[in-house]
Amino acid sequence: MVNAIKGLFITCDVPMAQFIINMNAALPQSQKFIIHILDNTHLFVRSDVAGMIRSAIADFREQNTYEKPS
Amino acid sequence: MGNGDKGRPNKKFKFSNKEEHKEPVFADDNSYYPEDNDDDYRDGEGKKRDFTKLELKLDHANRPLWACADGRIFLETFSPLYKQAYDFLIAIAEPVCRPESMHEYNLTPHSLYAAVSVGLETDTIIAVLSKLSKTKLPQEMIDFIRASTANYGKVKLVLKKNRYFIESPFPEVLKTLLKDEVIGRARISNEGMRGNDVFTVSKSLGEIEGRHDELLNEAELAAAAEEKETHSFEIDPAQVENVKQRCLPNALNYPMLEEYDFRNDTVNPDLDMELKPQAQPRPYQEKSLSKMFGNGRARSGIIVLPCGAGKSLVGVSAASRIKKSCLCLATNAVSVDQWAFQFKLWSTIRDEQICRFTSDSKERFRGNAGVVVTTYNMVAFGGKRSEESEKIIEEIRNREWGLLLMDEVHVVPAHMFRKVISITKSHCKLGLTATLVREDERITDLNFLIGPKLYEANWLDLVKGGFIANVQCAEVWCPMTKEFFAEYLKKENSKKKQALYVMNPNKFRACEFLIRFHEQQRGDKIIVFADNLFALTEYAMKLRKPMIYGATSHVERTKILEKFKTSSDVNTIFLSKVGDNSIDIPEANVIIQISSHAGSRRQEAQRLGRILRAKGKHQDRMAGGKEEYNAFFYSLVSTDTQEMYYSTKRQQFLIDQGYSFKVITSLPPSDSGPELSYHSLDDQLALLSKVLSAGDDAVGLEQLEEDADGMALMKARRFGGSMSKMSGASGMVYMEYSTGQKRPGQGQMKSKPKDPNKRHHLFKKRFT
Repeated sequence: MVNAIKGLFITCDVPMAQFIINMNAALPQSQKFIIHILDNTHLFVRSDVAGMIRSAIADFREQNTYEKPS
Repeated sequence: MGNGDKGRPNKKFKFSNKEEHKEPVFADDNSYYPEDNDDDYRDGEGKKRDFTKLELKLDHANRPLWACADGRIFLETFSPLYKQAYDFLIAIAEPVCRPESMHEYNLTPHSLYAAVSVGLETDTIIAVLSKLSKTKLPQEMIDFIRASTANYGKVKLVLKKNRYFIESPFPEVLKTLLKDEVIGRARISNEGMRGNDVFTVSKSLGEIEGRHDELLNEAELAAAAEEKETHSFEIDPAQVENVKQRCLPNALNYPMLEEYDFRNDTVNPDLDMELKPQAQPRPYQEKSLSKMFGNGRARSGIIVLPCGAGKSLVGVSAASRIKKSCLCLATNAVSVDQWAFQFKLWSTIRDEQICRFTSDSKERFRGNAGVVVTTYNMVAFGGKRSEESEKIIEEIRNREWGLLLMDEVHVVPAHMFRKVISITKSHCKLGLTATLVREDERITDLNFLIGPKLYEANWLDLVKGGFIANVQCAEVWCPMTKEFFAEYLKKENSKKKQALYVMNPNKFRACEFLIRFHEQQRGDKIIVFADNLFALTEYAMKLRKPMIYGATSHVERTKILEKFKTSSDVNTIFLSKVGDNSIDIPEANVIIQISSHAGSRRQEAQRLGRILRAKGKHQDRMAGGKEEYNAFFYSLVSTDTQEMYYSTKRQQFLIDQGYSFKVITSLPPSDSGPELSYHSLDDQLALLSKVLSAGDDAVGLEQLEEDADGMALMKARRFGGSMSKMSGASGMVYMEYSTGQKRPGQGQMKSKPKDPNKRHHLFKKRFT
């Protein structure tokens, strides 16, 4: 019996993969979105979470960026 | 927070601008400059401002600067007139940002006040500015300059026989001042002469004049008015600072002139000291001194020179020009020794005329004039002192100092300054610093505590002239390893975040690689800075290098530094925050920074300053010489962490000085293998568990830890002295007493405790 799941294949660097995994871990069981961790830099996730991951990463990076007040 | 120091004066200016425009009275302005409407205000964030209406002069290409109505001035450094324009601008405006080819300046009331105090007149400022400007000078700017400078010089603060007087040839000005609540309260009324009426007293006191004061005032009077008499009233020494503050442009707007006519001062004894002939001040040192002694008198103020550019020579020269008693304040005992050394090195001062006053060495002051070198802490210390230092401090307090020389004025907390300045009475104050930025935005306080900024050197010009080292600044990006980053993200580790990104194995490897490269390939001397004590110890132990931190004893410090300077075996040392200021290590030319105090711009600049002292042959250092760079500043940053934020913020000051940071992403090189530490995953995991198992207090927020570190150090030193005095246990008091008891036959003489001052110097060392 073959099960097919439609999902999203993510390629990123090592820390960002960890960030996504951490994000996933913080969610309650019902909302977990990672289907499979393929290796250090590749993840397979539910297809509907692309926007959420993007905005979470954008937020995270924003926190670590200093803008000179003008 | 970041732009506060320049943002504040801006705001003031903007405000006055606005008022002018709202007020229909100022219709002139609008007709003169019709298109200058709301767009020109600063408040529209990111709004483009339109300067197309500014009238270009025909020969604009030959003129070096742009002056904008909001007080900002842009200077082209490639202009042939750059040097002259720079000297002028630095006198009248605050530098905001000075990259290579375009400088930005800001006109503020403070900067104009400084300009007038170094002898520039209002009309001269306007004339020169319009000569240099590419466009017609905006009327707002002219009005602003006139308004800020009009009242300057009408009031003087004079120190006579240890009492402060406010003098003015205009009694009505004094009346205005006295109407102010703060100043009115600060006044000390003279019992005999004083009537009940506030306004009459100023006149009656004004008559008391010594011969020497006549001289002092002559020029002033002639210039200001045809008045023959000066009116004055005495104020409370403790209130001087408040009074000064009230007189600044943003309050009463009668900035007080503080000048010291040292040549005609016959009351205070002269100190016989000259600069030695081999002390040759460099051009910029001359220039800063000429600003201070512009009209034959000494002005109070601050001189800003980068680290390593020879601040101490400026200080010593100033002291030997004034030739009066001088009190020199430094931040710690080590720099006290350095200052004393510098005085002896550059001037002809005799050994007995200079004395150090620290917790370790309390040298008594002999003769009637001399130089005393001490620390801010010693003077401002509020607790109980030893008898010996109480005597010395009493002497410092009672004396009238010709010059108060203050080193590193940016580091001293404002309240400590206040105390020091209220305790010591000086005719003239000179502050020296490399970085006039503070994270607590207290820099404006210095304006009234010490005086205006007299001179500020441009770093890049000094680099080009070969006076300071040409530093390659680099930010090394170290990616976090998978395991460390996973822990970093966990909420429960929020207190250990710093330890995690500092101990990032990739960073460690990059650090090790850089140390090896510079030690082996270039034979450089390296300083590694880490604010986090946990990281400092881990790194130093692993790499087997000596380290110095707060708890390291003075003896050990000196030993390590001596080894570092002389021995070829010790080429790298690890320093904590204690190494930021004033530890003089001229040999070092590489800095690797692995962790730092959050976003402190000052710390970054101070650390860079450790390697700025120029090395090697002069001609090699000049532009186009043999070596492009002769010093290296690496800042190791773990990517994707908070450190990125701090690191960018920290660099702002240096970027404003014109430095650029190169980003390096490929360190250590990908082909490096097990020769660097933490190559294998097992090692990395072991390190990780070590970080995680360390207590929160060991790896926690460095800010607390470091502050406590510094404080504890100071306290420990102080208590060492006073505790023994208090208990009498370690002092001679107890011991003498007991010997007296044992041998009563020796007579009553012995039972009396000996005066510790008379103790033989060999024993003195042991017991104090």
